[in-house]
Amino acid sequence: MSLLQIRGLTKKIGNKVLVDQLTLDMEKGEILGLLGPNGAGKTTTIRMIVGLMSKTAGQVMINGTDTNTNFEQAMRHVGVIVENPDLYKYLSGYDNLVHFSRMTPGVTEARIQEVIALVGLENSIHDKVATYSLGMRQRLGLAVVLAHKPSLLVLDEPTNGLDPAGIRELRGHLKDLADQEGVGIMISSHLMSEMEMMCDRVAIVQKGRLVAIQKIEDMAADERAGVQFEVDRPDLAVQILQTIMSGDEITTDQGHILVHIPKTRIPEINRKLMEAGINVFNVNTIKKTLEDKFMEITGGEDH
Amino acid sequence: MIPFIRNENMKIYKRNRTWVMIAIVLLFVLLQIVNIKTTGRDAVSGDWRAQLEQQNVKLREEASKPGALNIEVKQAEKNMLLNQYHLDKNIPPSTNAWNFAVSQVRNIIIAVALISIIIAGEIVAGEFTSGTIKLLLTRSASRTKIYFSKYIAALLFGLLLTAAGILVSILAGGLIFGFGGLADSYFFVKDHTVGQVPMLQALLAGFVLNIPFLLITITLAFMISAAFRSSTFSIVISLIVSVTGFVIAIAMDGWDWTKYFVFSHTDLTPFLYGNPSVDGVTLGFSLVLIVLHLAILHLISYPLFVKRDVV
Repeated sequence: MSLLQIRGLTKKIGNKVLVDQLTLDMEKGEILGLLGPNGAGKTTTIRMIVGLMSKTAGQVMINGTDTNTNFEQAMRHVGVIVENPDLYKYLSGYDNLVHFSRMTPGVTEARIQEVIALVGLENSIHDKVATYSLGMRQRLGLAVVLAHKPSLLVLDEPTNGLDPAGIRELRGHLKDLADQEGVGIMISSHLMSEMEMMCDRVAIVQKGRLVAIQKIEDMAADERAGVQFEVDRPDLAVQILQTIMSGDEITTDQGHILVHIPKTRIPEINRKLMEAGINVFNVNTIKKTLEDKFMEITGGEDH
Repeated sequence: MIPFIRNENMKIYKRNRTWVMIAIVLLFVLLQIVNIKTTGRDAVSGDWRAQLEQQNVKLREEASKPGALNIEVKQAEKNMLLNQYHLDKNIPPSTNAWNFAVSQVRNIIIAVALISIIIAGEIVAGEFTSGTIKLLLTRSASRTKIYFSKYIAALLFGLLLTAAGILVSILAGGLIFGFGGLADSYFFVKDHTVGQVPMLQALLAGFVLNIPFLLITITLAFMISAAFRSSTFSIVISLIVSVTGFVIAIAMDGWDWTKYFVFSHTDLTPFLYGNPSVDGVTLGFSLVLIVLHLAILHLISYPLFVKRDVV
């Protein structure tokens, strides 16, 4: 049984179809990224999954429980942060934790202390949230959604407004949760590089439809990587390379030479260049980024 | 359900402004004491019999004045009968903690209702404004539970604040006027004759029978808050409706059409200690009318709250 099963999820408002027949499965311990241009239906999809929006059609099963028929049971082990975690500013961080922990039976005081320590808010937990920085609020938000030990985390644009250190910290927490506690995490973001570093799989949504779903590692492997050599005598280097790999495309840009070869051929070429008396300063493999892939799939529209 | 109500209570009572509102109500009670003290209405000095007789002459004039409101005539008649009763039985009138509290119950309820509108008008809309609604609705809890826990918390605030107001009126009243008189009877006029009940019974009945005003105002504010997500809109509209409703109910007292006007049914004490303002209206009729209004308000806001897409 999958952690999350989405079947034919559809949202229509009037004649406008925001999400169209979306079907998707997610497993335990997996980090799934939801990508798409603005207005593609990511947010609508996430809000339907967590019950903030009604579904026009379709089914969402969490741990085998249908959210349509038994919302309370289905949401028992789900943690949700939609955009910035908006918390009660006039309450202390601790009171916020108590508030949301009360909503799920079985969250003990010990568990509350545990999540406070996990996100490192021991020193400011009794201050009012109004005095917190955005990063601290994000950490408190994470503590709030982790207190009841969810098996599924759903995060919509959680990196919005965070500084690089905050994003890095969040990434660390999420990776740990997925790897060590088997939490499944669905995350939407428009930061491609971030998603590439964090996710195991990405689902690309465009105009309300799921257009591609792929493992990050497969994306990198399915193309021959580009390799860039930085040398002191590019003209000579190009001649040598042409003899080794006749017919292949070789592009040069000042001291940089770009060729498309498998990784295994790098030592051989490097040795040949050195034997010819060419100094190699730098060898750099250029992977196709998720962004390139995304542009390819979505055709760069609306972006 | 209990943890949810505790959550709502925490959010109400851990805000400073709630305590400012509570302080306003308690200050209002103290002002009533100052008012009575400075006008000397509490003092029984000299010949109280002569004073009561003089008062009755004045009341008779007022009642027969052309253009007097229905309610003014009724009040005058009632006070004349009560004064006459004191004269007949030779009981000097006095003000003490207990009859002061009884006389203030309705005032306190109205002050509390106006303050509670702010709490009830904010309790749902505030979650939308602050964005916390997203966390609140994505927990393992049905929207029905959240809706009713908020409604109950708003009602509890009104009821507790009323009880606190009554308590303060007894304590402060006792300090100024003395705590004696608990064993006295409370006198009232029903069917043109004077009746009496124990003081505490009158106090309790005054509290319970005035609750409908609190129910109607809080439910109205809550309805607008839950249905339209705007606390300003909710507070302003509810204040206007409640105050006008209250004033109309007084000004139009006894008119036939007020039989179907809910604010003419929000004080049920006349069924025990007086006569209903429109002949033939029964306690059952009033209760049905009140419940009907509450039901309609919830029928508007509940489906809207439960079905709303949160964006």
